[in-house]
Amino acid sequence: MMSAPGRGSALVRGSYRVCTQCARPAPRPRIASTITTAPRASAVLPLASRRYYSAEPATAQTPTPESTPPPPTSTTPTTAPKPDLYRIKSGVILTRAPLLTREQTPFESAFYFYQKRLNERLTAPFRRQFYFKQDTAADLDFRIKLEERHGVPAKDIGRYNPRGRKAWNDELLTGSSTSDPAELVEKLLADAEVRVSEDGEPIAPEERVPVERPVPRRSEADEAGDVKRLDRAMERTLYLVVRRAGAEGEEAVWEFPTGLVPTEETLHETAARVLTESAGPNMNTWIVGRVPVAHHVVKPVVGDDGTSVVERGEKTFFLKGRIMTGQADLTGNKHGLTDFKWLTREELQEVLPEEYYHSVRGMMELR
Amino acid sequence: MGKLPSTLLRRPSLAGYLPSTSPALPHHTPTTAGGLLSTPQKKAAAAGQVRHATFVPRSRRPYQFTQLVQLSDGSTFTVRTTSPLALYRSAKDSRNHILWQPTEKSLRNVEVDEAGKLAAFRERYGSSWDLDAPTTAAGADAPGAGAAAPGAGDAAAASKEGGEKGPAVEKKGAAEEKGDKKQVDAKEAKPAAAQEPAEAAASADPFDSLVDLISTYASEDKNTKGGLSAKDQARKEKKKK
Repeated sequence: MMSAPGRGSALVRGSYRVCTQCARPAPRPRIASTITTAPRASAVLPLASRRYYSAEPATAQTPTPESTPPPPTSTTPTTAPKPDLYRIKSGVILTRAPLLTREQTPFESAFYFYQKRLNERLTAPFRRQFYFKQDTAADLDFRIKLEERHGVPAKDIGRYNPRGRKAWNDELLTGSSTSDPAELVEKLLADAEVRVSEDGEPIAPEERVPVERPVPRRSEADEAGDVKRLDRAMERTLYLVVRRAGAEGEEAVWEFPTGLVPTEETLHETAARVLTESAGPNMNTWIVGRVPVAHHVVKPVVGDDGTSVVERGEKTFFLKGRIMTGQADLTGNKHGLTDFKWLTREELQEVLPEEYYHSVRGMMELR
Repeated sequence: MGKLPSTLLRRPSLAGYLPSTSPALPHHTPTTAGGLLSTPQKKAAAAGQVRHATFVPRSRRPYQFTQLVQLSDGSTFTVRTTSPLALYRSAKDSRNHILWQPTEKSLRNVEVDEAGKLAAFRERYGSSWDLDAPTTAAGADAPGAGAAAPGAGDAAAASKEGGEKGPAVEKKGAAEEKGDKKQVDAKEAKPAAAQEPAEAAASADPFDSLVDLISTYASEDKNTKGGLSAKDQARKEKKKK
């Protein structure tokens, strides 16, 4: 598995759970010295100091109760305090990057094959004497294989002589599998077999030791259909989804790990905390940036009179996370999670609720 | 130089086509085609095409094979290389190196000391020879162990007689000694600050002040070699008990 070197982690380690940006004091409003009698309202501040993340809360015309912060949606002054319509939640979409490069398309493999034969015409010829001492075992071995390839030094271009009478005939016939990458690997593995013993005697076919096969692209987890292992679907990005047990009478739903944002925390802090609380500390993860990559809104249920709130809505912001090593472990989690899966984009579409998937699909890579 | 490959176009020979009088050609000659070309040139143009282009020889590149490279974890990829070997198996790469796999326990640099020779050496000569000995080493009983702790650099160096005391006691003594001097060491910063006038540590930014920055470096774990040695692990376990 891969892992990231701790870039600057030593600096952050000193101040636990407070990142550099958050710990820095907010810029003080610079008020021009000429304005002395004017009230310190945010409207008269110079442009540079009026920022969205200013530490001072904007003084609204109507005093809101101290216990509840003003709803983030109300930008225009209202006569009556608006009820809290939404709860703010923060979640993390934990991804595992692809471990393998994707397979070549037929066009790509045909293109690379064409380039190889073209290169054969333009490059200097292979000189065996430069690489192999005359009549050594390695030389005999190479000569045997060269003869089997009809004198073509390259192992992967088929029977093609760039300096011969038929040099023009460099195109493959339809249906030929010579340019197939899987066949290329087979040829290379066959060529890696030792054909001559140390004392220069050719080895009989039944006594040759076949080369150990490389690890296949599909892992055991792929074959067994295990969606909990991280070594499945190795050429795709995987996403962690957890199953939250519903309240009484409700169905359990699949979702990304999310949690409510307390007043004193920022989104990325909550996301990191929620991830640890729900999937355990036994993961080497990295929250990519502090900006959410997706958001999902659940509309509030308003009563018949139009003002009373029956059920508050939810605004969930998702941050992107990467997992380097480790595995999710739900034992003892604080969010009532019962199960987890590592799924690809297409599998997510089947598992997640439709609107939920629609909100987050923009952040997903095609692979 | 080497011969041209037969498939490439040969440069046409210019021997018969160049007019011998061309440098001496007057400029005020009327520029009609008939006036410019002399009779032998007309004949040459009619005979064949003339290319006044320089031949740029193609650079000679060595022959390249496709090679299958297998990393230590079994994954493979192909490269183009001059080596005629079909398969290259790597013994050490990013898949089994501690720098890229910091959580892999089997790659840790664990000291194998079955015969107890290293332990015997330490018992006799102390651990001051160990480069990566921890700063809170309990090797105070060993002679010269006081100067061993690399993290406590200047504090340990300042106290020359503190060989018999434990490292913590010794450091405190050093702090009192150097009370009048500027004390930079992180662990001593707080006791020293009690004697000195209050520093301008009021700045809210945690990384603005140099003291804080240095203290974070000092608290950084020195474990750059990948894992504890057997000796340190044994010590840790003893502490737990």
